[in-house]
Amino acid sequence: MKLKTSLYSRRKFLNGLLAGGLGSLVASLLYPLLRSVIPPYKEPDEVRLPGADFNGLEPGDVRPFAWDIKPGFIKKNSDGTFTAFVGVCTHLDCNVSYVPAEKKFFCACHDGWYDADGRNIAGPPPTPLRRLTVVAEGAELVIRKETPA
Amino acid sequence: MIAGGRWTAFRRWLDERLGFEAVLGFMRRKTVPKSGHTVWMYTGSAILIFFAIQVVTGVILAFYYRPTLEEANASVARIVTDVPLGWVVRSIHSWSATFMITFVFIHLVGIWLLKSYRKPRELTWMSGVLLLFCSLFFGFTGYLLPWDALSLSATKVGTDIPRAVPVVGDFVTKLLRGGDDVSGETLSRFFSIHVSVLPLALLAVLALHVFLIQKLGMSLPLEAEVKKKRLPEIPFWPNFVYREAIVWLVLFGALLSVAVFLPPGLGAAADLRAPAPEGIKPEWYFLFLFQTLKIFPPKIWFLQGETVAVLAILAGVLFFFFIPLIDNKPASRKGKVLTAVAWLFIVYALAMSAWSLAGPKPAAEAAGAAHELAAGPQSAGERTGIYVFLAWTWATIVFLVFVMRVKVREVDALHAVGYFREKNGPAKE
Repeated sequence: MKLKTSLYSRRKFLNGLLAGGLGSLVASLLYPLLRSVIPPYKEPDEVRLPGADFNGLEPGDVRPFAWDIKPGFIKKNSDGTFTAFVGVCTHLDCNVSYVPAEKKFFCACHDGWYDADGRNIAGPPPTPLRRLTVVAEGAELVIRKETPA
Repeated sequence: MIAGGRWTAFRRWLDERLGFEAVLGFMRRKTVPKSGHTVWMYTGSAILIFFAIQVVTGVILAFYYRPTLEEANASVARIVTDVPLGWVVRSIHSWSATFMITFVFIHLVGIWLLKSYRKPRELTWMSGVLLLFCSLFFGFTGYLLPWDALSLSATKVGTDIPRAVPVVGDFVTKLLRGGDDVSGETLSRFFSIHVSVLPLALLAVLALHVFLIQKLGMSLPLEAEVKKKRLPEIPFWPNFVYREAIVWLVLFGALLSVAVFLPPGLGAAADLRAPAPEGIKPEWYFLFLFQTLKIFPPKIWFLQGETVAVLAILAGVLFFFFIPLIDNKPASRKGKVLTAVAWLFIVYALAMSAWSLAGPKPAAEAAGAAHELAAGPQSAGERTGIYVFLAWTWATIVFLVFVMRVKVREVDALHAVGYFREKNGPAKE
């Protein structure tokens, strides 16, 4: 059957255009607003430390360093190489401390424990401490983001 | 009576333009049911009093506070040691926050257990829950501003929690922190949220909340409503307001006393790379959530414990917000079960908080006051002055409470003989 008049009136159509236009304007404002609320930050690709500072470490010793605004820890391994960790708990982001007496990393916020290799061994942490790559370049130790294998 | 005549004329002039007589007439005819549950009705206005105190003291603090990494801690130290009576202003701000949140909880528990959220007051409850979130967010953002080791760790944990929420969580964490990590950016935006976003949000929701309370009137206790019992009523103005004012005065005196005798200290400036201090704890009103996160195992089945905990908390929050719609037959068995759930939750929150408090104390306290800046009067004159002021305040409060009690008896007697009804017209309904 053919209707003589349209069910969709000119008035409804205009209202739809108006609402749709206003809606898309507001929606398109949302992107720049949300874009501007987070400032840029780039984690450093590498941190260079004077190697002399770490020459005196005995195997198993751990020493803190600054991974930009986060704490980092360098551990001397028994084979003379170094391992580095970001000292931030993987549970809820608190900074961890190294407890030399127990040879463990400890997070005071929710009683999280990691062994000297950064493995989560007790408490709520879900994953090991984040690792960084350490390379000796001349007199410097270069600490880099670990490239995903 | 020329002055009176002019005053009346001025009032009429204003009323022709503002139409406030309609509002005043409404307030004069507003009534409050009188029963054993009336005491809960004092809790809402107590929150308002503390909020007003927060605004005044907060404005003063904001004159001196500087929200940057380098200056935040030092500027608070300056408020405490250098600004005249700054330590009292900060102490009142800090204690008033505690009092406000306490009364928010009391207000909420009362309404929850009395089921005052039932039809038609669902939106009043929901706006109240939004006000609760505003208050808690006020507390959370304000806690960071002194920028000491405890506040830094609490913020790191608190802002990391949304990350566990799927899809939007990561963005929310970045939005709160101003990046991937807590840094100086976080401090600046917490200040902005604390002093501009939250006050605006809270006032907007508060306007709706108060409007709904006026529009719908005071809720009757469930059993009175079910039995269609008619409760005795007293006029809101002046009988109820005089009673409330007594509560306000006593609470104000209590707040001032606690603030003078127990001013909060200040830890050393936070170091972004320092390990979290031992025995860290958030503000007391987050303890039950904190303890919940602490006891969740790292893995539950195949899911991360943290994710499960955060999703459970989120589900709890949604349940809480929509209680009026869920508890739609309050007098039935379902309603009784939901009351039991409310009691269970209250017991859970209290038990978890107590458990958390029983744990190790913050290291800063254990190690003595080495890094702690103790607050207090800065000179003998200030010390004497503040005690005299406190004594004077209490003397005034005692006097005013005495007079108010006389007034309460007077207006109750007037109400009993129907004086207000004759003057203002019949009560509504």
